[in-house]
Amino acid sequence: MRRIPATLAVAALLAATTACSTLSPPGEATAAKARLTDLRPVRDGGTVTIGLKSDPDMLDPSLTSTLVARTVFTSMCEQLYDVDQHNHFVPQLAASLPKITNGGRTFTFTVRKDARFSDGARLDAAAVKTSLDRHLHLRGSGRASEIDSVDKVAAIGPYTVQLSLKHPDVPLLGRLANTAGLIMSPKALRQYGSKFATHPSCVGPFKYVKRVVGDRIELAKDPLYYDADKVHLDRVIYKTITDGNIRMANIRSGDVQIGDQMGPVEVRNSMGEKGIQLLNTPSLGYMGVTLNVGNVHGIDQKPGTVDTPFGRDVRVRQAFELSLDRELINKLVFQGMYEPACGPVPPGIPLSSPVSCPGRDVAKAKKLLEQAGVKTPVPLELMINTTPEDSRLGQVIQAMAADAGFDVRLRPTEFATGLTRTLAGDFQARTGGWGGQPDPAGNIDSLVGTAGSNNQGKLSDPEIDRLIVAGRSTSDVAKRRAVYRDLTAAINKQHAVIYLYRPINYVSASDDVSGIKLSGDGLIRVKEAGYVKGSR
Amino acid sequence: MMKLRRLLTSYVSRRIGMSLVTMVLVSITVFLGVRAMPGDTAQALAGEQTSPAVLAAIRSEYGLNDNIAVQYWRYVSNAATGDFGTSARTGLPVLDSITQALPITLELAALALLMAIVVGVGAGVLAAVRRGKPEEWIANGIALLGMSVPAFWLGIVLVLAFAIAMPVFAASGFVPFGTDPVENLRRMVLPAIVLGSGLAAVVMRQTRAAMIDAMQSDYVRTARAKGLAPRTVIGRHALRNSLVTVVTVLGLQLGLLISGAVVTEQVFVLPGFGKLTIDAVFTRDYAMVQGVVLFTSAAYILINLLVDFLYSVVDPRIRLGGSQ
Repeated sequence: MRRIPATLAVAALLAATTACSTLSPPGEATAAKARLTDLRPVRDGGTVTIGLKSDPDMLDPSLTSTLVARTVFTSMCEQLYDVDQHNHFVPQLAASLPKITNGGRTFTFTVRKDARFSDGARLDAAAVKTSLDRHLHLRGSGRASEIDSVDKVAAIGPYTVQLSLKHPDVPLLGRLANTAGLIMSPKALRQYGSKFATHPSCVGPFKYVKRVVGDRIELAKDPLYYDADKVHLDRVIYKTITDGNIRMANIRSGDVQIGDQMGPVEVRNSMGEKGIQLLNTPSLGYMGVTLNVGNVHGIDQKPGTVDTPFGRDVRVRQAFELSLDRELINKLVFQGMYEPACGPVPPGIPLSSPVSCPGRDVAKAKKLLEQAGVKTPVPLELMINTTPEDSRLGQVIQAMAADAGFDVRLRPTEFATGLTRTLAGDFQARTGGWGGQPDPAGNIDSLVGTAGSNNQGKLSDPEIDRLIVAGRSTSDVAKRRAVYRDLTAAINKQHAVIYLYRPINYVSASDDVSGIKLSGDGLIRVKEAGYVKGSR
Repeated sequence: MMKLRRLLTSYVSRRIGMSLVTMVLVSITVFLGVRAMPGDTAQALAGEQTSPAVLAAIRSEYGLNDNIAVQYWRYVSNAATGDFGTSARTGLPVLDSITQALPITLELAALALLMAIVVGVGAGVLAAVRRGKPEEWIANGIALLGMSVPAFWLGIVLVLAFAIAMPVFAASGFVPFGTDPVENLRRMVLPAIVLGSGLAAVVMRQTRAAMIDAMQSDYVRTARAKGLAPRTVIGRHALRNSLVTVVTVLGLQLGLLISGAVVTEQVFVLPGFGKLTIDAVFTRDYAMVQGVVLFTSAAYILINLLVDFLYSVVDPRIRLGGSQ
């Protein structure tokens, strides 16, 4: 009797146990057609409650390290630049895109003249300098490494700022369109110093009212905001509801109007449900498997040789990648609601090029293992997060890789412990991902560059390093696009980071709320949101 | 009378002294336990996008480079003055977060306890009095369900039934009783049912067993022989003696109520101790974990103290200090 392949057996089991609804073929079920906004006219007034997946950390742009804090900042702290719904950089508190001169070493820009912080202080070049200097020099600033190419910040006019860089760094614009571009009130900084998070004050459509840790952050419409006429809601409340099912239950009951970062299962279960609308945008990030190929003594040390078949021979890594079926992973683990991926540059941004993912090829994988001369099954300990999704992902990878001759053992590890082990080099492989940035350098440089601060597997390749420098040094879009195409090929050639899928940012919302906007970064903007005219 | 007062004073002082020693031991255990957890605070806080400079700054900011004894001494001496430190995750004072969360969990636990007493004692007495009758089977069946059903599942089912299908109660959130009593209860009834159901089942079974025992005892037989009304026999004689067992069980289970609130608070999104603890543990927020555990331990110790004192109130045969 013919044996049923292990992959199919696991696939069938998972399909039976993880989904209540019927699975559709990959691609067909993916809610990939982006829906970024809803333009029905709204009335003034009311409070909208947004359910967040996790509790934000410090509401301090210099010290925060969570994406969820940035979600809150979209309502109360504007940035120098932002990304629009087509992933183009647009000025926000800056009045224009920066003039990049001196071979990418000087950024000059002006700031808005009509903006005031929620505590009444005026936005000007000096205020921007104060914030950027704080990002650079405050003890423990998470922004310092992001903008460490900045040598000096100068207010060269009342509303004109000039950044002098240590080396060419065109992707800096992308970081100024992220947390590093958030500007704080100099008055609040003087008053509260490193305790700014207790009384955050910025330029934004809403201002901070209060925070109950673990529960909610309350914001109220800021009458001083330069664009206050477009703001309809009186209040916005961010409420932490970690479980996706409970977030959805709260939307259904009307206690919450918007659910952030909804999971594939909840989204699929609520599709077509009366009273609930769905918005979505492809993520700029990726998820996949990082293999430890050189992290022997810790992430901050020089790369070494990891003495495992995976560390020694690229053919073993390639064989492992060839054993995986991205389409099937998407179907089994994420109900077909995400998108297969095989590179760090997200599609849909001006610097991306089309990339075709290699298909699963078990025969070739086996041949590569034979050529590498390794004894099968090749053992691999895969560290996974302690979430149901990661557990399913690990099981599917385990089953698929077994067909090609790998013995994958899963090691579920809670986040803080996993992070410590990863940074120390105490891992063979781990599942994980990257939130993503609109400039591809943000998805590459620190993650696979030899000197990268987040190069967990300590991949070190001269060609990758050369292309990383090339990508930073020119602002010509066509040239940069070509660099990132070559860079993607160079990274994939090493098979040390196996890009598997790209999440889609799903936002579920009550149907009577309109004007919610998602941008390419997946963050929810409620500046112009409100209750639909004629609704409650 | 004087002797009794001296006995009482000595008993109370001894129990309070023992409680303080317990608190010190708890603080040391928690302090060492939190630090023995795998995973580094600085790294957990900085996240994946980190750099050695950021890690060093965080360690320095929160005194994580000092040796354990220095850290412990700094912590307890500050705590003695009411300063439980600053949350490394949110940057807010630990005491503020605890004082915001504590009343919510206490209210939840109190409501759950009330529910457990009313339902558990009532059903237990009914099951004992109506032994062998359908009422006993029904009460036993419900008790079995109450002990078996996971809180998370029961919570979701109650939300679906009573907050979505029939929106009588709210699905989540907290409104202080002082702000709006009706809204407060609308939000707290379902969590209290979820939290109290397990305890009610335990109380019911204990009450039933103790009542059956009491109903077969000589003093109840004597009371019946004296011609007392059944209600008096059950209420004044059998139930009062059975309550000693029930109070003991309640005392032991109260600590579980507070820890059980972790799940209930997650389901109903109540910003109580449970949520605070989970977030603090996952981010290795030492100051917050220590603060929360110390307060919980203090509550637990206080409850045990009160239960011990209650013994002498409900059963006059029990004498202070174990003397007859």
